[in-house]
Amino acid sequence: MIGARHNVCVGYVNRRSLSIAACAALLLLALSACTITKVHQSTGTMEAPPSDARVLLLPPNVQLFELAASGLLEPKAAWTETAKVNVQAALDSQLQEKNLSIVRYEPPQEDTPDAHTFQQMEKLHEAVGQSILIHKYSGETIALPTKKDTFDWTLGPDVRILARDSGASYALFVYMRDSFSSGGRVALQLMAALIGVGLPGGQQLGFASLVDLHTGDVVWFNRLVSTVGDLRKDESAHAAVENLLSEIPL
Amino acid sequence: MRLPTIALLCATLALSVACATSDVVDLQPGERPALETDEAGLWMYMEEVEHNLSTSGSIVKAPALNQYVRGIVCRLAPDHCPNMRIYVVQTPHFNASMAPNGYMQVWTGLILRAQNEAQLAYVLGHEIGHFLRRHSLQLWRDARAKSDFLAFFTLGAAAAGVGYVGNLAQLAALASIFVFSRENEREADDVGFRLMAKAGYDPFEAPKIWQALIEERDAVEDEDEAPPIFFATHPTTEERVATLQRLAEQFAVGRAAGVRRQAEILAATAPHRPAWLRGLLRIRNFERNSVVIAHLLENAANVGEIHFFQGEMHRLRGDKDKEDSESAAAAYDKAISLGGAPSEVHRSLGQVYWRMGQSAKAREAFERYLSAEPDAHDRAMIEAQIARMRKGS
Repeated sequence: MIGARHNVCVGYVNRRSLSIAACAALLLLALSACTITKVHQSTGTMEAPPSDARVLLLPPNVQLFELAASGLLEPKAAWTETAKVNVQAALDSQLQEKNLSIVRYEPPQEDTPDAHTFQQMEKLHEAVGQSILIHKYSGETIALPTKKDTFDWTLGPDVRILARDSGASYALFVYMRDSFSSGGRVALQLMAALIGVGLPGGQQLGFASLVDLHTGDVVWFNRLVSTVGDLRKDESAHAAVENLLSEIPL
Repeated sequence: MRLPTIALLCATLALSVACATSDVVDLQPGERPALETDEAGLWMYMEEVEHNLSTSGSIVKAPALNQYVRGIVCRLAPDHCPNMRIYVVQTPHFNASMAPNGYMQVWTGLILRAQNEAQLAYVLGHEIGHFLRRHSLQLWRDARAKSDFLAFFTLGAAAAGVGYVGNLAQLAALASIFVFSRENEREADDVGFRLMAKAGYDPFEAPKIWQALIEERDAVEDEDEAPPIFFATHPTTEERVATLQRLAEQFAVGRAAGVRRQAEILAATAPHRPAWLRGLLRIRNFERNSVVIAHLLENAANVGEIHFFQGEMHRLRGDKDKEDSESAAAAYDKAISLGGAPSEVHRSLGQVYWRMGQSAKAREAFERYLSAEPDAHDRAMIEAQIARMRKGS
């Protein structure tokens, strides 16, 4: 059955046009590699943080997927574990390079009232992050006009609870998703390119926000979109985090 | 156009063959999938979903109710019970679901509709069946394999210039994914029945919960078009009732009758029933709600309270003619005479009398409400209403 389909496909393409098409396909794939970041900062005034500023680093929210031929995203547990370790290490080293005092946030035990608050803060940050992505990164068709010239998102003063007794004045949230084409997907991309259709491959999406722990305001936000990079690899994760932390005012 | 027909036939054949074999074995107690497997990926993903759900405002935290539901699950599957987390979700709709990592949701609309513990146990057993037989994993693998196949097939068809065949193939693929899902549901029904019957519950109660749902469905005249059966992810409800009835008859041969434990479920749900009924009435589906209320009245527990909600159901429908107001008033009167209704029954009675133009009776009812509820939060409003009635008519 499968053999029959391939014959049907190739039967309509003679050898010369096949080689031209193959070149076009390779070109298509090569040109599609790119990384974009875009930073937004709070429109309110932000005082320069004191030199002994402490930054609370929350556990990065990372998930990795395999992109199947059909476009289905299959979650991958082993890849995610590796990526989490790499992203955490990259964050640690890059923030330390800036001579910042880092405090790693330890989530409280399950079923304690603190745990409930922490989880709600996580969910709130994700909701605020999605809102920022919609109103600041998705073009004017879906963004609210009232958000056009301002950047005034906040998690609210309750975020102070996260600081507890750490003495931290800022919190850094990092959210990353990455996907990789399966063998079948790559094959499909090639086949599609042969008939002039461009199919996207795996993508890396991330956002990071710096939150003032006294007010809850999001003072800095960055979004990363990339078609290259591999969080499972140490160096690549390092580069991705470097891109993500570009222009962070610390 | 012989080519597309052959292609489509081959596609359907391949798809039906693809789901015939399954190498997934039952989940063992305490088993966790190896990190590199697709199953581990699904668990990881569902852990995040569960993490978010666990702090949702819709989760019912009441310890006694949670212990009660958990107790049933542990009676049905004691070996697997430590690896399942049960979340009771506050919503008037009927549903329960099971994720591959062992997190189960039971909606309060379901618990409300179970007339005894045996019926609830059957539904919980059904969900446990999904977990034990790893249906989510099977469904995922099947969907992935078929949609991958479909992607290649569609592309191949498009390349050959027969684009429309892709749509038919997509239809066939979707249909076959749902067939696999229906098989899973049948299997879960089977497992649920066995777990519940073996735990000593009355097997004849299993089909009754579906029968109650059929009654609800049939009561509604202008229901939104139900999805075509072709795509239904569950076998038809009638089929499920027939299958379970047959299983019950087979199981009951030579065995002592099982237990229903009606008193236990009524005791466990009593403190929550008023809130759940208020939620149910908010949906304002009069026909469906009538069926639910009728079944609750059959249970003959705290009937006064149920009559109050029956009255509320009529009052909220608020037809322009007197019929609903009269039915509501009759129900409230019954609630008052039987006792057990909340003190709002007097206020509601006042409201329907007022609507019927019987202001003297309305005033009496409002005054009874205020004396029954000295700290009423709407005291000022009701007093103003009474004053207006004295002045006006």
